[in-house]
Parts: sequence; structure tokens; C-alpha cells
Amino acid sequence: MRIEVAEPILHADMDAFYASVEQRDDPALRGRPVIVGGAGSRGVVAAASYEARRFGIHSAMPSVRARRLCPDLVVVPPRFDVYREVSSQVMGVFRSFTPLVEPLSLDEAFLDVRGAVRLFGPPLDIAGRIRARVRDETGLPCSIGVGPSKFIAKLLSGKAKPDGVRLLRADEVAATIRPLPVSDLWGAGPRTVERLTDYGFRTIGQVADADRRTLARIVGEALGGQLHRLANGVDDRSVTPHEPAKSVSAEETFADDIDDPDELDRHLLRLAEKVGRRLRASGHAGRTVHLKVRFASFETVTRSATLAQPTDRTHDLIDVARDLYAGLRLERARVRLLGVGVSNLTEGEAARQLALDVDQRWEDVERVADRVAERFDGVGVSYAALLDVAEDPGWYSGDDVRRLAGEDGREP
Amino acid sequence: MKLRAERAEFAEAVSWATRTVGARVTLPALSGVLIDAADGRMTCRATDLEVAAEVSIPVQIDEPGKVLLPGRLLSQLVARFPDAPVELSGDADRVEIRCGRATFHVRGMPVGDFPALPEPAEDAAQGIVKADAFSRLVAQVARAASSDEARPVLTGVKLEATGGRIVAAATDSYRLAVRELAWDADVEGEALVPARALQEAAKASSEAGGSITLVLEAGQVSFLFGDRRLTTRLIEGSFPNYSQLLPEGFETSVIVERAALVEALQRVAVVAMGQANTPVTLSFEDGSVDLSAGNQEIGDAAEALPAEIDGDGMAIAFNPAFLLAGLEATGTDRIRIELRDALKPAVLKPQHDPSEDGGTTSTDDFTYLLMPMRVS
Repeated sequence: MRIEVAEPILHADMDAFYASVEQRDDPALRGRPVIVGGAGSRGVVAAASYEARRFGIHSAMPSVRARRLCPDLVVVPPRFDVYREVSSQVMGVFRSFTPLVEPLSLDEAFLDVRGAVRLFGPPLDIAGRIRARVRDETGLPCSIGVGPSKFIAKLLSGKAKPDGVRLLRADEVAATIRPLPVSDLWGAGPRTVERLTDYGFRTIGQVADADRRTLARIVGEALGGQLHRLANGVDDRSVTPHEPAKSVSAEETFADDIDDPDELDRHLLRLAEKVGRRLRASGHAGRTVHLKVRFASFETVTRSATLAQPTDRTHDLIDVARDLYAGLRLERARVRLLGVGVSNLTEGEAARQLALDVDQRWEDVERVADRVAERFDGVGVSYAALLDVAEDPGWYSGDDVRRLAGEDGREP
Repeated sequence: MKLRAERAEFAEAVSWATRTVGARVTLPALSGVLIDAADGRMTCRATDLEVAAEVSIPVQIDEPGKVLLPGRLLSQLVARFPDAPVELSGDADRVEIRCGRATFHVRGMPVGDFPALPEPAEDAAQGIVKADAFSRLVAQVARAASSDEARPVLTGVKLEATGGRIVAAATDSYRLAVRELAWDADVEGEALVPARALQEAAKASSEAGGSITLVLEAGQVSFLFGDRRLTTRLIEGSFPNYSQLLPEGFETSVIVERAALVEALQRVAVVAMGQANTPVTLSFEDGSVDLSAGNQEIGDAAEALPAEIDGDGMAIAFNPAFLLAGLEATGTDRIRIELRDALKPAVLKPQHDPSEDGGTTSTDDFTYLLMPMRVS
């Protein structure tokens, strides 16, 4: 039995995340205007503390301009490793309340708490508990919006800042959002707002009352429909916990530029193998294979090809990567970087068309090789052609390897 | 050049040549139709260097000659001609075409730019097949060929003539279709024919009717239908040895009404279509085949129908489009499905019931091998 919850969606957003972390870790920064970002002439503000915001400083502003606005400004270089670590702590807190956590970035996430009300009380109480736990465990403030949909929850977390919480009841949504400016609509960026304003739309209510086709003409079909639905309080997007990986890739910048085609081919094979292993490990398969080549001149070319069926086989990846490379018709070009990637991913094990190919056994060879690599921590079975790639110490060079694959890594 | 032709024949000849070759123009001259008036006949030729089409019709010739005219323009013109004789006259670079009260002047292209078309040698091995049987053979097999140009050998249909039979086979590595046909020739030979060209030949043969002559030569194959000829270059490379892919035996065999299965599959597959990777699962058990498909975004569907099952029950998943193609190609009222396990290829065959055999001695002459999808 399930308790009906009218406002099950939370949007939790850390307050001035990077800047707050810096102020937490360096007591000298507390109470002072701080920005995290590049200090150079072309640096940009990545985050601004609330003290800095009082001077009109906001993120994405050039650091030079921020300094002009506030001569006492402290500029701190970013420490992304630390932010990532704190972020996973925060997401861990969220996940201890509900499995339905959809991170939007390092410092914000949507939560669907309808399954948690039995245990922790109504959503507003859950929001309070989450804020307390985040402060206990990380020493950082966060703001939370509670509402019937993602749009409302996100709108409210913005209004709740700093260090606050806001709830809007489902039956009050329509009336409450009508007087708000169109810039509060999710998806309405500065250009869209400008276009809407040009046509006389200033409030969300005006958008809600507008003819949908008129909106579509002004801002385009998809966005027009979206804005119209949101303005009418309609937002049925669900909280999706796991954002599936969009692509898997591996690339390598060489210590010295390489122009030997055989050596490049071996690197290509190794990258394909790495990507194939990651695909198989994550249970994905992809249809589009990408090749990236950067020359000594820093000129970079990318090529891609789409297969009829998704694959996670190294064998297929290297075939396509080699074709793409050959298609560039390079003659001893000096290559600085090679990359191989796969996109257009589907869940590998979910459903895969099996092939009749006579070389079906490659799939088995690769699975066995993956298992060996897993068990012996990197030491594994690989293509024989890779045995003499000096800079990769991970490979076991034994007779077994040579028996599994021919000298050139193709068919034995 | 000066000639006078009957409108319908002229229009049909021009449009057949241009249509058969298609619009993949790589050189300007290949967009043209070569019209050659000699010995009381007008011959139209078109080619894209892979496929060449030639058709000849009887005309009245006052002055023999050759012109190369833009193919698409010419076929659009003749399609709109009034019902009156067509007259062509003039030089290669300025051709006058008259029909009824209408007169056109069309700028021709240099005749010398048109490539010489390969012609079948007089003494080449040839065999004759019935046009309808040939077009049916192509329809059954060619769809299993790959459209992926990255693996050229799989875009072809393998034709093998041996011991009074011709065998056609195609695979895109997910399914394999093989069809045998008796033919009226003691010819031995083989050819890997581009599937597209073979489908054009099949279309032309079903239009022409009667019987067609196949000429197998090194590097090319020609199809002759009366006054028309289609020659295509062969694909180089070796086709997979498909006979070793055909399984020896089976664990479970199923006989089911084909039309009922097709309809059920089409209904159930609605939730799978649009998602290339959504399989339809078939469970064979207790005299029934249960079809099911599900898609998180759309929903799910299930349907059951009766089947004669011999052997252990089992479940196997297929790409619905591939299965549908196999069922459509099989053709008989009832079909036979042979299975080993959920990860091994399934075999579809026509089930020839004594009652519908109609006295012909047809055996298992069509085989559709289909790899399943793996579902976890």
C-alpha cells in the first residue's frame, strides 16, 4: 500500500558550492567575498560566495570584471578533486533517503521521496532532515525546493537560497507561478526570454494562456510546447536515478609524436581493446565507432561510422577503427594523439542480435580475457600484436597469448 | 540520324533503361541514354558502370546514327508525349524530337564519352529459367543480403549453378536465406551478384514474363529477357561458406500457420518497432506459441496461437523485422521452425503438406536461418 504524496519531488542544491567548500577548508576566507575561478586575464568565475554576490558578482562573469566590482575579492583556484569527493558524500546522503536520486551536476540533484514518507515523514520533513545531515557530514549549506514536479522543485530551491527550504502545494501551483516572470520557466534562456518579451509575454500566466501554435512560431515547436506545459503547471518528467553512459572512449597522447604506421596500428588496437573491455564491463554495446586523430600540428580530425548492430567486441571495434584510419589516407603523418570511442549505446546484455559469423568465437575469447584481467588485476590475455608495446607493462607475454590470436591480432 | 518509332514502345524502352540503371550518377555521360539506330532497330543503353541495361525495339530508320541524350529529361518528356509516332532527327549535339504537334530540341552529349558496355560472349555458359520462378527466388533471398557497404561480399547474392540446379544464397551475418531451383541447363558456375542489380533483374523479368536466360561469365552475369538485357558486374571476394553454418539437427520442431504467426508477430512487434534492439520472444510449449515483447518506454504485448510442437519446450528471442522477413519469404501456408537452443540459429522452412503439394515434387528448397537475440 502506498501513501499518496502530492509533492514528492525535491530539488536539492548546494549553496555556492565551490566557494562554500573553500570557505569551509580555509577559515581565513569565511565572511569574505570569495570567488573560485581562473585568476588570469581570461579567467571566469566558476562560483561566487554570497558575500561576493552582494557586489553583483555571479558565475560565468569574467574574473577581471568581478575584481573591478569588488577590489577586496579573494580569488581561489578550483580544486575539482575535492569538489568531486564532497559531491559523492552529498549524493550519498541523498541516497540514504531514497534510491530515486537524479544528479544534475556535482552540486544539485532531484529526489523522488514518495517511497520514503512512511519512514521519514512528509516531504518537507525529509527536506529538513537532508539539510541537517548534509550540514553534519560536510559542514556545507544546501537549499531544497519541494513540489509536485521537477520544474516546481527547481524553481523553489532557487527561491529558498541561501540555506533554506520551500514547499509549494500542488493545488496552489497554478496561481502561484502565474505572476512570475517568464525567465523562471525551465528552458527559457536569455534569448528565449528576449523573444517572448518582444511578443509581449512577460509573465508565466501570459504564456499559460497563449495559443500553443503561437508559442511554437515564436520559440520553435519543441520549446514552445515545453514552455506551454510548464506554464500550465504540467510537468510529468520522472526522476531518473541512473543517467546511462552516452559513450565510452579512450585516447592517448604520445610522449613523442608517432609516424610509424605499424606502431600507430598497435596503439589503435590497444585503445579499441580498452574501449571494448569497458563496454563489456558495464554491459553496454554501441553502434557508432569514433576515431580521433590529432597531428603534430594540433590539427584534429574525427571520423565515425555506424554499424548495423550494436557491438561490444574488440574485434569489431578495431575493424572499424582501422577502416576509419585508412580512410584518412595519411602518409606517414606525425600523430600526437589517437582516440577510439563508441557511442549510440544500448544496454549490452539487455538484448543483442547474435551474429552468424564464422568468427563468433571472438566473443568468447574476449569474455575469457576480460575475466582473466579482472582476476589478476590488469595482467591479462591480449592481442599478440600488443606484446611489444613497451609502455604498457600490464600484459602477460606467454605462449597462451600467441595461441589465442595471430601475430597481427587478426584471425589466427 | 533520323528515325521514326511507335510512341508506347519508344517510351517504354527509354524509361526501362533509365529506371533500371537508377540515378547514381558519377560521371556526366552516365546520366545519358545512348540511342543507336541501325539495321531497323533502335537500341537504348544506360549504365552506371556496375549495371548496364540495354533494350532494342523495331523502328523505321531513314538515316542510321547514334546520340547520347540526358536520360531523366528524355524519360520525363516521353512520358508526357501525345499518342502519335515519335521522330528523332539531327546531329549528336542537337537532336530534334517530334511527337504530334510538339517539337523539342535537346542538346546531346558527346557519344564518345559513353562507356563501352560489356557484352556477354557468344559462347558463354547460359541457362534458362521461368521468369516467375526467378523473380520469386530473388524475392525470397535478396532481402537477407546486407546493405552495409563496409562488407561488400555480404551485399551480394551468391548464385551457384550445378547439376541442373541453381542455388541462391544471401546473408547479412544475422540471417541466411538459401533457395534452390531446378533449371533447364547443364551449366556449372558461380557468381556473387550485387543484390540491388539482382532485384532489378527480377523486376524486369516479372514485367517481361515468359522465360529468361542467365549468362554466367567471369566478372559479370547477364540476364536476357527477349529484347532486353541487363548485365551486372560481380562482387569480388569470397562469400562465406554458408553450408557449414546450416545446423545438422535440431532439438525441437514446430509447425505453425504462417499467416496467423505473421499477424500475431506484426501486432506484438508494434511495441518493439522503432527500437532496433527490442526483441520479440517466442515461447514454444504445450501446443502453443506465445509471443511477447516489451519496451519500457511504450509498453508490452503478448499473444498466443496454436502450434504442433515436437520436442522440449523452449523460449527464443528474435529481431521481429528479421523474423517477419523470413516468414514472408517462406511462402507456404504452414511453416516449420527447427530449434536447438535459445542462442543457436533457428531454421525456418516451408512445410509442404500433401494436400497442397498439388502433385509437384517440391522438397525443402528454401531455408531461412536466423540468429536469435540474447536477452538477459
